[in-house]
Amino acid sequence: MAEESVKQIIFRIQRYDPEKGRILRMQEFTVPASRGMTVLDGLIYIKEHLDSTLTFRTSCRMGICGSCGMLVNNYPHLVCHTQIEEFNSNKLTVKPLPNLPIIKDLVVDLTSMFENHKAIKPYILRSDKQEMANPTAEFAETPQELADFLQFSYCVKCGICISACPTSASDKVFLGPQAMAQCYRYCADNRDEGQQERFPVVDSDHGIWRCHLAGACSEACPKGVDPALAIQLLKRRLVSQALGTARKKQPAKPVPPPTEFKEKVPFPDFTVKKD
Amino acid sequence: MRTTRFYILHMLTGALVAVFLGIHIISLHLDTILGFFGMDVTDAVAFESMMERAGQGIWAALYIALLAVVLYHALYGLRGIILELTPSPKAGRIVTRVFVIIGIIAFAWGTYVPIALLSG
Repeated sequence: MAEESVKQIIFRIQRYDPEKGRILRMQEFTVPASRGMTVLDGLIYIKEHLDSTLTFRTSCRMGICGSCGMLVNNYPHLVCHTQIEEFNSNKLTVKPLPNLPIIKDLVVDLTSMFENHKAIKPYILRSDKQEMANPTAEFAETPQELADFLQFSYCVKCGICISACPTSASDKVFLGPQAMAQCYRYCADNRDEGQQERFPVVDSDHGIWRCHLAGACSEACPKGVDPALAIQLLKRRLVSQALGTARKKQPAKPVPPPTEFKEKVPFPDFTVKKD
Repeated sequence: MRTTRFYILHMLTGALVAVFLGIHIISLHLDTILGFFGMDVTDAVAFESMMERAGQGIWAALYIALLAVVLYHALYGLRGIILELTPSPKAGRIVTRVFVIIGIIAFAWGTYVPIALLSG
């Protein structure tokens, strides 16, 4: 078996410790990197072998939790599913996500993102409170109705779209692409009736109309979500609502489970010969 | 829906600026083209010609409408840029009020001449 090649990669990491003064500095570490190693593996190597004070946030290591968003070579990535090899360079610069306050080293404060996310009420809102409190059945949803918002539900709330957004860079109280995309995700859900509760949040001075449609959020999203599209579709809903041309749709009704079942097709006999 | 309505108006005024400004430019500066269509607009930029036009109802209405849409479009756009750079709600309110006052003063000032000419 061929011996695995190990490259020496220099990690240039932005360090910041509020307890030691508000100074940003870059620190270099040399990490032996083999094929398949992610940037997160490199950071874990540094923490375990070179400097235990290095601070970063990580959890699932498989691009699901959205904890490890960082700026690698000046582009936002989820470092757990970004391989070192991708950069074709022996130098990697790792910084915390921009447009968000830094807590320490590579950890940013995502409070504002979660506050905005909460403000748009990211859950199904319906007028039939009784059914919501004591559900009797599932709400009907066709595959097409699901496809209308499915891609937007892949958001892992990593904050990468906010760090890429030029409006978030200049407007510190901008609602941000994450919250607006999620607002559309729930408004487009055929089971939901909460549009009127969500619209006042996005229809504000620092809301949807501050989006310049740069599209940086969609380009940067590591989960393939297209927040810029969601924002445009949400703008269309707002405009049709304001002009009174919005089509009124009845929300999905609960569909009781079937009472009659078809007879089960018997399982075929195995025809594999034993000899 | 307040912000959305203001934004729709912002877009609408943008389109209207192009229409009204187009009429203005064609009538004042493209007299050769108008001459081609048999219209006599000699010396359209002269002071007397301008005063004569401003005294006619249709032209006065056009200029007043052009002023209104330009002011709304420009000031609302500028307000948006400033709001983006002033995150506090208090600063936002001050900016809005200042722009409303500027807009009203500029509109009153700009409409004074055609209204005065029309009324007498």
